[in-house]
Amino acid sequence: MSILLNNRTRLLIQGLGNEGQNQIRRSLDYGTKVVAGVHPGFRGGETFAYGNHTFPVYATVTEAVEKTQANCSIIYVPAPGAADAILENIAAEVPLIVCITEGVPVHDMIRVRTALADSKSKLIGPNCPGIIQPASNCRVGIHPPDVFMAGNVGVVSRSGTLVYEAVDQLTRAGIGQSTCVGVGGDPIIGEQQQAILRRFQNDPDTDAVVLIGEIGGLAEQAAAAYIKRSMTKPVVAFIAGATAPPGRRMGHAGAIIEGEAGTAEAKLAALEAAGAVISRSPAEIGSTMRRVLEEAGKYQSPGAAE
Amino acid sequence: MNIHEYQAKQLFKAHGVPVPGGGAATTEREARALVQEHGPDVVIKAQVHAGGRGKGRVVKRDRASRMYNDLTREPERSEGQISGRRRGGVRLASGVEEALKEFRPMMDTDSRLVSIQTGPDGAPISAALIEQQTSIAKEYYFSIQVDGANGQPLIVASAEGGQSIEEVNKTNPRAVLRVPVDPVEGFPAFRGRSLASQLGLPSSAIRPAGDMFANLYRVFSEMDASLVEVNPFVLTTEGTVVAIDGKVGLDDNASFRHGGYEEWRDRSQENATEIEAEEANIGSYIKLDGNIGCVVNGAGLAMATMDTLMLHGGEPANFLDIGTVNRKDRVIEALRIIVNDPDVKTIFINIFGGLARVDIVAEGVVDAVKELNIKQPLVVRLNGSNVEEGRRVLHDSGIDIQTADELGDAAELAVEAAKSGKRRTRATN
Repeated sequence: MSILLNNRTRLLIQGLGNEGQNQIRRSLDYGTKVVAGVHPGFRGGETFAYGNHTFPVYATVTEAVEKTQANCSIIYVPAPGAADAILENIAAEVPLIVCITEGVPVHDMIRVRTALADSKSKLIGPNCPGIIQPASNCRVGIHPPDVFMAGNVGVVSRSGTLVYEAVDQLTRAGIGQSTCVGVGGDPIIGEQQQAILRRFQNDPDTDAVVLIGEIGGLAEQAAAAYIKRSMTKPVVAFIAGATAPPGRRMGHAGAIIEGEAGTAEAKLAALEAAGAVISRSPAEIGSTMRRVLEEAGKYQSPGAAE
Repeated sequence: MNIHEYQAKQLFKAHGVPVPGGGAATTEREARALVQEHGPDVVIKAQVHAGGRGKGRVVKRDRASRMYNDLTREPERSEGQISGRRRGGVRLASGVEEALKEFRPMMDTDSRLVSIQTGPDGAPISAALIEQQTSIAKEYYFSIQVDGANGQPLIVASAEGGQSIEEVNKTNPRAVLRVPVDPVEGFPAFRGRSLASQLGLPSSAIRPAGDMFANLYRVFSEMDASLVEVNPFVLTTEGTVVAIDGKVGLDDNASFRHGGYEEWRDRSQENATEIEAEEANIGSYIKLDGNIGCVVNGAGLAMATMDTLMLHGGEPANFLDIGTVNRKDRVIEALRIIVNDPDVKTIFINIFGGLARVDIVAEGVVDAVKELNIKQPLVVRLNGSNVEEGRRVLHDSGIDIQTADELGDAAELAVEAAKSGKRRTRATN
């Protein structure tokens, strides 16, 4: 078992522009099973070929799912059409939808969240790096694959590049990852941190979790409440933006300080009170996790993890 | 993106939200005409994007920074000193002559409005909003924003208006009503009337208030707004309601379906360097007070880079999220902005490529060093996609760059370089 992805994941890619093509090639190189593409203007029968890999490209998600039994979609569609692409996947009842796109209008996401509420689909993103699971060679996103290594630590983050940063430190410290999830930096996203924490808590392949938050919003407080209530696995947490001047929007649409609850201090206090181990410096996430795992007797030296 | 109060009120008016009679003036002629039409008793409001206007001051540009220090140091004391030559951003006047006396200093090209939110440079005043005065019986608060956690619009309203809603929430949280909006239903007038009644408005005002709330929701929804706030709307002595203030934030991500919001945008209210960064397609740039110029990819990593620098005793000169770099000219543009900042003593480049390829970043850095003739010490940390090629490009270029593989080590090098003003000889890599 594992969270969100596994070796039965059959990936559909939506949006085969230049960037989508580049990224799907890297996922194929990584060993991910890509079964279908969807791109407007294509009709069934056309194929996308790369090296030894080929997959058919369809005009609609419904047709692609029907013909290929795809069970996970990755969306690289540009922002004006991203919400439409998500809604199309919800209508086609794709169980897991991952949307990478940055800059989706917030009112579009209000519609998406309404459609998700009574659906069979789960959404990760938008404005996220996606999900990667090294043990099953499954890369549903834009990650640099080389820094990842299979192991027993889950990673959940609002920021994409901070997933890479944290994972690089973990791998250097000899700690592999079970699944890494970037939930996205926008004000309205699909699954939030606490939902991913719940998945990790119930996942036998995960022994500990790195939680990376940032200033703005209340998602880390919700995560802290979940940790306090239900989490028995150790959590190492870092909050980005402790030194950001208040009131300025720092790039992520979600990262604006709203009153005192949005500050790094408030979030760190909530997480610490919930029992999370705080890494004050973003450069010490790996070493902090190493210490936590060793104390819990869960440190697996590299090689033994497989 | 923020818009001016007078623009928010244009939107309100176009959607049937009652606002006081009036309009924006930039010339004396316009001001005179507005007072003649809507006066004699008028309110004159300086139009700037920053908040805290009422407690701010209109001053000459060269006095802005001193005034800012006074306001931020002793906000309580200076509040009681609106008199004589000290003028606030919201003034009352009676008749054309008195109104012009208030109008002229506001619209002097050398004037700045300074409030605790403007920063030491103050804000240039784009126009003066001149409106008839409203006879107020009671002030109320109303806003619509996006509740990220629930993925729905959220209406916040209170019978304690005209003051900071955060303050009311702290001292009397029960006075703050929260109404989640079902996005499918929207906010029809009957919901508005129910809210009006909860706010304790008198029966004469229930219907106009209900319509006003429903129409404000239409502004929010049709304009792709991230915020619509009216603080206060008032119950008049005649028993009806008027929005006497208005604040609208527009969602930049939705600008593609509103012609780029060009008609609402006022570039004079934006930081020139931040506009330059936007035009160079750089994700996000914000000027800060320190001396280490930062170029980072991703907002989260950019914030974490600032955090690391400060934990090592350094001070970032800026926040810069370069976005996804797939062309080296973007690196050059980013570095041009950094190099042109006179405060920058050291440059710290931290790129962890996912979508971005770091070999392209490295080529951009090498070109920029030559093209921009960069003199400051340069610390570069590259990781992620195509990192080996990237490091090779830097190494083979022969230019004087300090590198480190890990974030903590790289930050330490940058802080050290900023303190000594010197490059350390190639000790790493």
